[in-house]
Amino acid sequence: MLKKANTIRLSLITAVMVFAFQNAQAQTNNGTAGNTTDVSKTVRSVAEALGMARRTNRAGAARLPFIDVINRMEIWGSGTSSDGSRTALKSEYHVALSYNPPAVRMEMTRISQVGGAAPQHTIQTVRDSYAWNESQPGAGLEPGWGTATPAMAAAKQRLLQLWILPYGVVKAAIAAGDKTKLSIENGATENGAAVITYPLSGPLAGVTVKATLDQKNFVTKVETQADNPALVIEADYSDYADHGEALSGVQSPGHILQKQGGEPVLDIQIKNWDGANPYLVFPVPENVKKAAAQEPAKAATTKGL
Amino acid sequence: MGSLRNTLVTLSAMLCLLPAAMAVAQDATPTTSTTPAMDRSINVRPKPTGVTPHTPDGHPDLTGLWNGAGGDLGSLPNQMHNDGIAIESQSSSHDVYSGAKIATWPVTDRKPIDDTEGERAATLLRRVGSNKPIYRPKYWEMVKELDANANEEDPSNNCMPAGIPRGGPPTYIGQFPNYFIFIYPGEGGLIATQTMYRMIPADGRKHTPLADLDGTYTGEGIAHWEGDTLVVDTWGFNTSTWFDQLGGDFHSENMHVVERFHRDGNELTWTATVDDPDVLLEPWTTTPRIQLLNPNPKAILQEVLPCSERELAHAVTKDHH
Repeated sequence: MLKKANTIRLSLITAVMVFAFQNAQAQTNNGTAGNTTDVSKTVRSVAEALGMARRTNRAGAARLPFIDVINRMEIWGSGTSSDGSRTALKSEYHVALSYNPPAVRMEMTRISQVGGAAPQHTIQTVRDSYAWNESQPGAGLEPGWGTATPAMAAAKQRLLQLWILPYGVVKAAIAAGDKTKLSIENGATENGAAVITYPLSGPLAGVTVKATLDQKNFVTKVETQADNPALVIEADYSDYADHGEALSGVQSPGHILQKQGGEPVLDIQIKNWDGANPYLVFPVPENVKKAAAQEPAKAATTKGL
Repeated sequence: MGSLRNTLVTLSAMLCLLPAAMAVAQDATPTTSTTPAMDRSINVRPKPTGVTPHTPDGHPDLTGLWNGAGGDLGSLPNQMHNDGIAIESQSSSHDVYSGAKIATWPVTDRKPIDDTEGERAATLLRRVGSNKPIYRPKYWEMVKELDANANEEDPSNNCMPAGIPRGGPPTYIGQFPNYFIFIYPGEGGLIATQTMYRMIPADGRKHTPLADLDGTYTGEGIAHWEGDTLVVDTWGFNTSTWFDQLGGDFHSENMHVVERFHRDGNELTWTATVDDPDVLLEPWTTTPRIQLLNPNPKAILQEVLPCSERELAHAVTKDHH
């Protein structure tokens, strides 16, 4: 009987020691990654920090889980951008985007700082792997409403804008599953930053994304690696707050800086960031579909990304 | 010592099984005519049960009180609370329309959500789905503005009828040989709308020419059967309604709506297709909505509280429903 009692006592002591060891190890790993110990917890922490993971207390729904509430967003800002030359032009920035389906409409008005030149106004749109330029939003969808010019070659570069935004980081990191990795840069010190790396898929297969987090689990830097130099980009995000005219609880950066080849290509201060899924649609004009049909290899769907 | 070991083993087993037992207990919430809401941890379509009764003329019998999930907006599968997001487990959801996976995280604590946070989350959840009508481009900004200013612009705010198809599937269906009665009890609170009813002939008559109709909230509906599916074809609307649950989805007086009702045991599936070439680029079909038959055969349709007009036009912020 005494032997059995000792066995049980020993088992309990062992269990307590194992638990204590695991707990201590978890706390050691926690130090610099916002109290997260693994990839999924870190990604969830980012989603929570951004106001993406939400649930409501409405009657009948109070026990439903948190779900990703980010689909459509509209962003307005001003600053400077490059039109392909190395000159920074004063710019008004207006982006409408959707993750489901993946789509972006980027409207940019650039004003030359050299006097006399007329402002450049461009609308670059992408949905799935269809890319086109619009003379006005919705151009080419019905007679008399502007023109849509196919720009299929630009599809990947435009789609990439979705997945380098902080919300795209969360979505793509989850989509990449086990291929998403977490590391601590600069060692596990107080200033060490949690870094998430993951590969993109679908038409952006071959692009790897590295996202750096701050202590509040906001995404502060996103860097891509790819064989295609047009898909290599660096984006810095800062001044997070709810920048919506009507508050939604979605936290967004107040400043976006994008660089390519070490040179700034976009430096924007945000004026308004509507993250509350406004009405934004991206139907593909018929002439763009026809152009894509002539390039079937490039018109693969992005489903699954 | 044996009893100590047994106690420890029993205690361990109880601790292991506790979460499962709690989940079962929570999902076993009874559904009766007086249940205010089925408090679900998931919201996917339940498996239909029971048989579909038929009338003497051989059609499925749709007669009944279709509020078996408790009648609460948030408790129904694919209801407006989640705008077509099916939550199949605490860690898995998808968009019903596109099939896209939606990131899902289990509830790990019971921290209360304050009303403001709950309202804002509901605003996002109700709009997150991908099934959106495609308006003509010249109306894109207008739809967005109407939605953003819904506190002032929503035509149902002042106790006006929600209209068709915004009213969704009826709560009560009465089926007779040559006509149907649909009743839509009004709502207080979130969507404060007036009670609506429709008497819909199913006697083979044709529509009145649109030009001869004065537009109304529920239009001129005419029913016929396509196999086991009841089809209600309606036109002759006024322009004082939005056609979707939310989102500023205005329409013209030329809107044409085709609703489809299909009964499978205790489930009624409803969709509506909106065709309005004046404002839409293409017809739009709602994400299917499921109504459950009230399992209490003695249940009756209770009187609802009168709709109270809300002073939303004077709201301080643009936080909307």
